[in-house]
Parts: sequence; structure tokens; C-alpha cells
Amino acid sequence: MNSQEVDPSRPPDVPSNKAPPAKSGGRRRHWSEPLRNQTAVLLLVVLVIAGSLLSDVFLTPRNLLNILWAVSLLGIVSLGQTVLLLTARFDMSVAGVVGLAGIVTVLAQINGFGLIASIGFGLGSGVLVGLCNGGLVLATGANPFLVTLAVNLLVYSLALSLTESKTLYATIPEFNLIGRGQLFGFLHYSVIVFLALAVGLEFVLRRTIPGRTIYVAGLNEVAGRLSGLRLQITKLSAFVLCSGLAALTGIIMTSRINSTIASSGFGMEFDSIIAAVLGGTSLFGGRGGTLRTIVGVVVLGVINNLLVLLNVPSEAQQIAKGLVFLAVVLADSALRRS
Amino acid sequence: MKRLLGLLENHSAALLVFGLVIAFGSSAPATFLTGSNFENIARQISLDAPMVFGQMVVLIAGGIDISVGSTMAMAASLAIGLQPFGTPVAVLGALGFGLGVGVVNGLLVTKGKIVAFVATLGTMSLVRGLLLTYTGQASLVGIDPAFTFWGDGQIGPVPVSFLVVLTMLLGLYALLGHLRQGRNLYAIGGNKDAAFLGGVSVNKGLMLAFMLSGLMAAVSGVLVASRLNSASVQLGADAPLMSISAALIGGASLFGGKGSIIAAFFGVLALGILNNGMNLLGVPTYTQIAVRALILITIVVIDALATRLRRAELDNARILE
Repeated sequence: MNSQEVDPSRPPDVPSNKAPPAKSGGRRRHWSEPLRNQTAVLLLVVLVIAGSLLSDVFLTPRNLLNILWAVSLLGIVSLGQTVLLLTARFDMSVAGVVGLAGIVTVLAQINGFGLIASIGFGLGSGVLVGLCNGGLVLATGANPFLVTLAVNLLVYSLALSLTESKTLYATIPEFNLIGRGQLFGFLHYSVIVFLALAVGLEFVLRRTIPGRTIYVAGLNEVAGRLSGLRLQITKLSAFVLCSGLAALTGIIMTSRINSTIASSGFGMEFDSIIAAVLGGTSLFGGRGGTLRTIVGVVVLGVINNLLVLLNVPSEAQQIAKGLVFLAVVLADSALRRS
Repeated sequence: MKRLLGLLENHSAALLVFGLVIAFGSSAPATFLTGSNFENIARQISLDAPMVFGQMVVLIAGGIDISVGSTMAMAASLAIGLQPFGTPVAVLGALGFGLGVGVVNGLLVTKGKIVAFVATLGTMSLVRGLLLTYTGQASLVGIDPAFTFWGDGQIGPVPVSFLVVLTMLLGLYALLGHLRQGRNLYAIGGNKDAAFLGGVSVNKGLMLAFMLSGLMAAVSGVLVASRLNSASVQLGADAPLMSISAALIGGASLFGGKGSIIAAFFGVLALGILNNGMNLLGVPTYTQIAVRALILITIVVIDALATRLRRAELDNARILE
């Protein structure tokens, strides 16, 4: 709100008594303004300083690369979740899709399909789930949270029935390279895929019409419809992208360990939302971006890494995660109201 | 179409119970239609019913509570783990914990202005962490044999837990149907702003709803602990979806302002019969999961379509005026 706006009910020469003391440079800026929306960056700085003080190994290149490697899979899921969050919707089915895509890929290999074809099947399974989620939510106006939670169960039960609750092993040796290969001997492919996707998606979101439409879908659907934007197809694409990236994650995860089970993605639905919101993407849509999500994911990774380095039991890490989540959504809600 | 949706929406629980009894009764008459099996179903649903009642109260007030599963598991662990201090202390500790989670949820929603499902998703994770830390992921075993009376005992042919549930049913029926605080919840869920302008304290109502939900989830936890005389961290994993499904089948709406305790009872009864029947027929676990998921999707979609239809009707009525 601009408080210096001219009040039409008054003669222009009478100064409004509501006007703030005149200052050169127009609107007065609150001291914290440049820092707003950058909570994650601040948090990261604090954590890195704390980490370097608390542990000798924390600031070694090896450990930092380890953190990136550890979070890159969650990162790819979080990118899709971020795009969907921008439209003010969620996907709780990513956990199931991560498991299903790995299983479909391995099953295709077991049944004699080649490397590329098997990966295609895996990605295709994710796209199908995305179409199913998006179709149900967009056509009926049903609550996306509960629909995708139920779809998650459905996908999980499908994955269980496909594997008969057993662990499956990949049969093509080259498949391993995706998850284990490194560029220059130290940079894992999954890290490169994560960062490249984040930059690419940020470009699409900022510079292309479908990208801008995503923001409009989250901010003001009526305005978007009246402007003739293709909202429905854009929102459906966001669902498909989210599930597709979850499927990609499932495939990379499977190739890392060469095997897969139906529950391999459990917890990722929750973590990906935390990472996105931690980075500064709003739960209420229309604000945020995929570059921010890199920071959010890395903060989560650093917290986990520090807790491990400090020998905090894994049970307490769950408490930390819950507290971080609540703090982040409280901040998000306070920011939205300000 | 409109009447069909209305019928499905308002009497889906009773219809489902009726249909399921006929279906299972005809496919497995020797095992399903027996007195001991009905007693089994009564025992099983008595453990879930308090939690579903709580979920129903929150849904009526326009909220949702995802944290019920974690709360129930933690309450069960406290009811067992605190027994060295005396069983009454353990039970009170468990119930107090549930109430505390409800207070936190209520504060996050009313003061923190967080959407209910996000806030309760956070407390779910937090309570799960407390549970893992408290138990160290180990199972706890009870030391007081008298404690099993509540979940496992029976008076004549009737399970004690079922009597507990009936008592709660009557109490909540009176609250929602006849007391001002209860009636206010419908007003808050139907239209928060209108309720506020009508002089209803929206925040107090929401606090009451979340506190009841936390407390009732803890009651479910205590009953489960008493039934098993033990507690494990796996308890309550499917509770959030189960309780929401049961309440929605019982005519609640995700858009608030609808539902009743009796209908919630029918909702939990329907799911109980479904699970029991599928088990008797030897349906594989993953098919059971899929069936439950499909039921939830169906009921959420029906809820959305019916609400959309009702709103369109309201708009039409406004235009005609």
C-alpha cells in the first residue's frame, strides 16, 4: 500500500495528515526489507558457521560434496513440488511414485527391455500418475492433499503387488552409471541433474509464458482466465512435471543401489514440501522459485549432516525436522499477512 | 444427478454398511454372519471410533487433523511406559499428552494462522519424533494386568471398550446437537466470517475442536494399549487417512459445517466391516490398501462435486432474487 497516494476527497494543496515524514527516495524502506524472503540463506550462513565451529570435518570439500550428493535426490523431487506449490497445490503421491518408477524400470529390464526403454517405462509410470492426480483434482475441484494422499496409497499398493513385497535387482550393468557415475571423478551425475534442472526450471518460470502462467494460477485464477491464459493445461502440466521428476528420482535412486523396494520414497512427500517452503516458496501459491529450492534442500542436508556429525540419535532428527517445518510455515504465514 | 449425489453424500455410511453386510454375508456366511465375528468387529471399531469422533468434530468446524495417528501412538506408549508410576498416572499422562497436542494444533491454527492440515502435518512429524525418541523404536510391554480391562475385558457379552465408545457417543451427541459450544462449531465450519459477525468466538470454537480431537486420539491410544497390553511405534501409521475416510463416509465435508457423531459411528462401522470382511475372504494386503484408497478418492470427489453443485444452486438463487 502506498500511503502517499493522493486522496481525491481533499484539495490537493492540503497535506494529508496520514502521510509519513517526507524522505528523499520516496517510500521508506524497512531495515529488514532486503533480508525478507531470504530466511533460508541466513539460516544456511548461521548453520555453516555453527558447523565449522562444532566439527572439524564439516568444512572439508569432501563433506560438502557429500551433503550435495545426499540431498540431490530429494532435491529433484522438491523441484517438481516447488512448481506445483506455485499453483497453490500439493503432491503427496511423490513418495509412492519414487518407489513405483524404480520398480517399473527394473521390471522392464528383467523382462528383456533395453536401458533406454526401461527408463522410458519408469518415467512413463510417473507421467501417468501425474495425469491421474491432475485430472482428478482439476476436473472435480477435489482437495488435492487428500486425493494425492489416496493416490499415494494406490500407487504403493500397485508397487507392492508388482514386486510381491520382495526386493528387485536391476539386470543391466550400465544402469549403475546413472546413480554412481561421477564427472571429473568427484561430481555425481545426480548433483548435476539436480542443479541443471533447477536452473532450467527457473528460466522457464521467469521467462516463458507457461512459466508465468504457473504464477498466475497460484495468485489469481480469475484474472488469468479473463486474460485468456491456458490455465487448465498449465496446471495439469505442473502435476505431470511433479510426478515425472519424482519418477526420475526413483530411477536414479534405484541405479545408485541397483535394487528397489516399494517403500523407497517414504517420507519424501513431506521433506520435499519442507525443502520448497524453507527455500521461500509459499504454501499459498504464486511466490517462490526453483533456485530458492536449492537453498532449502541444502539447508535440510546441512542440518542432517550436522546432527550426524554431532552424534545426535536419528530419532531426535525427526523432532528437528518437525520443528523446522513448523517454524518455516509459521514464518511463511506471517510473511503472507505482512 | 443432484438427488443421487445428495443421497450418496448424506446416507453413504448407512448405505455402505447395508451393502457390505449383504455382500460379505452372502460370500462368507459361515464365518461372517456369526455372533463371535460381530463381537470381533465391535472390538475392532471401538479402538478406532474415538479418534474418528475427534476427526469428525474438527471437520465439522472446518478443520482437519492429520496428527491423530502420531498422537494415538504416543498416547499408547505413555499409557504403557508410565505404568511404573501407577496406572492412573499413566492413563492421565497419555490423555494429557493428547490434550496438549490438541492445544498446540489449536494455537497454530488460531494464533499462527496456519492452514489446519499444514499445521497438523507439522505436529504429526514432531510427535512422531517425540515417540521415536521416547521409545527408542522399541516395543513397550505393560506391567499392570488390571489395565487390560478397558480394551480387552467384557461385561456380559459386551466389550468394555464398546461401552466406553457408547458413552462418548452420547456425550458428543449432546455437545454437537444441544449445547451452544457444539452448535457454534457448525456455524464456524459453514462460514467463519458469518459466524464471527453473528457473535460466535471462532478461535474458541476451533480450540475446542482441536483439543477434543487430540484428547480422543489419545483415548484411542489408551484403548489400543490396553487391548494389546503393549505399544509399538508402528501404531497409527494409517490412522490419519482411516479417520478422515470414516468421517467423510459419515457425511462430513472437507469444506466444513456438515456431519454428526452418529454418522461418524456408521462411518467407522462401515470401514470396520469392510476390513473384517476382506480379511475373512483372504484378500491380499495390497489389494486391501488399494480398496481403501479408492474409497477415499471416491468420497473426496463426491464431496467436491456435491459442494460445487450446492454453491452453484446458491448462486442461481441469488441471481433469481
